[in-house]
Amino acid sequence: MYGVFATWRSTRLYLLAWLMLGLLLAAMLVASGADWTASLLFAVPLAIVYAYATGYSAYYVCRAYPLGQAPLPAIAAGIGLSAACVAAFWCGMGMAWSSLLAAPQLAPFLAPMFGLGVILYGLAVTVNYLVLESERVRRLETQELETRLMARDAELRMLRAQVDPHFLFNSLNSISALTALDPPGARAMTLRLAEFFRHSLGLQAGRKVTLDTELELVRHFLAIEQVRFGARLRVAIEAGADALPCLLPPMLLQPLAENAVKHGIGRMLEPGLVRIEAARAGSLLRILIENDVDADEAGAPGGAGIGADNVRRRLRAAYGHEAGVRWTREDGRFRVELVLPAETETEES
Amino acid sequence: MRVIIVDDEPLARAVLREHLAAHPDVAIVGECANGFEAVKAIGELAPDLVFLDIQMPRLDGFEVVELAGTRTHYVFVTAYDQFALRAFEVHAIDYLLKPFARARLDAALAHARTRLGGQAAQAAGLQAVVQEAAQRNTPLTRVLIRDGARVHVVPAADIDYIEAQDDYIAVCAGGRRWLKSQRLSELEAQLDPQAFLRVHRSYIVNVGAVARIEPTGRDSHCAVLRDGTRIPVSRSGYARVRDLIR
Repeated sequence: MYGVFATWRSTRLYLLAWLMLGLLLAAMLVASGADWTASLLFAVPLAIVYAYATGYSAYYVCRAYPLGQAPLPAIAAGIGLSAACVAAFWCGMGMAWSSLLAAPQLAPFLAPMFGLGVILYGLAVTVNYLVLESERVRRLETQELETRLMARDAELRMLRAQVDPHFLFNSLNSISALTALDPPGARAMTLRLAEFFRHSLGLQAGRKVTLDTELELVRHFLAIEQVRFGARLRVAIEAGADALPCLLPPMLLQPLAENAVKHGIGRMLEPGLVRIEAARAGSLLRILIENDVDADEAGAPGGAGIGADNVRRRLRAAYGHEAGVRWTREDGRFRVELVLPAETETEES
Repeated sequence: MRVIIVDDEPLARAVLREHLAAHPDVAIVGECANGFEAVKAIGELAPDLVFLDIQMPRLDGFEVVELAGTRTHYVFVTAYDQFALRAFEVHAIDYLLKPFARARLDAALAHARTRLGGQAAQAAGLQAVVQEAAQRNTPLTRVLIRDGARVHVVPAADIDYIEAQDDYIAVCAGGRRWLKSQRLSELEAQLDPQAFLRVHRSYIVNVGAVARIEPTGRDSHCAVLRDGTRIPVSRSGYARVRDLIR
């Protein structure tokens, strides 16, 4: 079953409309002098038969001439021809039916009946086009939703994979060194690394996490890097108590912290500081990630490129124009500032 | 065998030290935490072998080799570097992947010993690897110049012009000159072609430093820099200037 007969509900509605038309037709016959019983007996079955005839044929005609694909004159000609055929068939049916019932004289009504048949057919075609169009829109919407979900999943997978291979192998190398020098330190580092990966692998695409959770991941990351870099890497993380329950897309801050270490501290000869500050100001959550950079480092502020673009894209996807990211470099410090709507689990609509 | 270890991570140096301790003929004569120290130490201590980390602040491993020369033998150490690994394989350069097994280190050491004994030169392969690494970094944002044990880092944007002088090039920036042993055409290929122009067989000029171009005779021109320096411009050089302006 297709078109208006696709569901029970639409079938019933459709037949109801035709029943009304049949009654209207009967009323018109009564008005022209026929008696009620004969008119009803004649008009209602004829209307129902025509309902099925137009319903099916219009559906296939609409399928054969999809709007916006076939040229308009061809559509008009096709529909006109089938309307004429079906209406003529209906008139023939009416003639046969009226002679069978030996009831009202149909001959004077043939021309208006043919005209009515064509108009009703036109209506049926319009209804079918509407149904097809709404189906198409619904299908497109589902498709788009699916692709968006897939894209988000892929993005998170990519972000996880983006955890720098240098980070992993260098950390393993540190563990290798610590096993001889400092076995408890080696164990602690192994646990940190396990914690970091367990945490990042447990994230789900599209499921926002609290700032508290994200900062935990960042802390694990920075603690591991501190083992590698020793005194060269200093870390300061401050977050207001009201900021911690705020939600943000997962793995938003970790890549920024990674950049701060890789392109900031990792390129400095002297020790450097990575500072993260988060505060809630009314309906906004402000996050600042700041790191020292090498004073002599020539060229563009390293790492702003891909990492920052990524953050901007993700913020745009999650919040539209309500969120923003800004990065600056001044006084030997590189800073990334994020502003996003402060949402918490309970406030979120 | 006299060995220097270069790595910016203390633990990475420790693991090398630990493994090398098992070899009584190996003497660790220096440990460096960055490229500058490494260039200085390699110049002063003339070690037989250098374990050289690639990823380091300011100067990476390839730049250290570029500055310190290819007379010493190197074993590169890296955690992850697809491009470099391919280059090492192609040019038969020894390398260690972090974290490495002792057997792997022993093999690299044994290989270095045979090379030292047989004097089989690593230099050509090394130079190729260094050049490929420089290619990956183009256009250059800075030029490295070694001055005895010191290393100068000259940002490309600060350079006014570069002049070829016999086997050397003179890099001139802000009124100072540094000599570097490199061919002018090699440096030209590494600099940003939008910013640097070969105006003469012996001159590359920073377009941003040029105040004006003056005719100096029939068919000959010179570029006048902002500080008043006059640079000869050959006929083909003048054509290149015009192409860039157009």
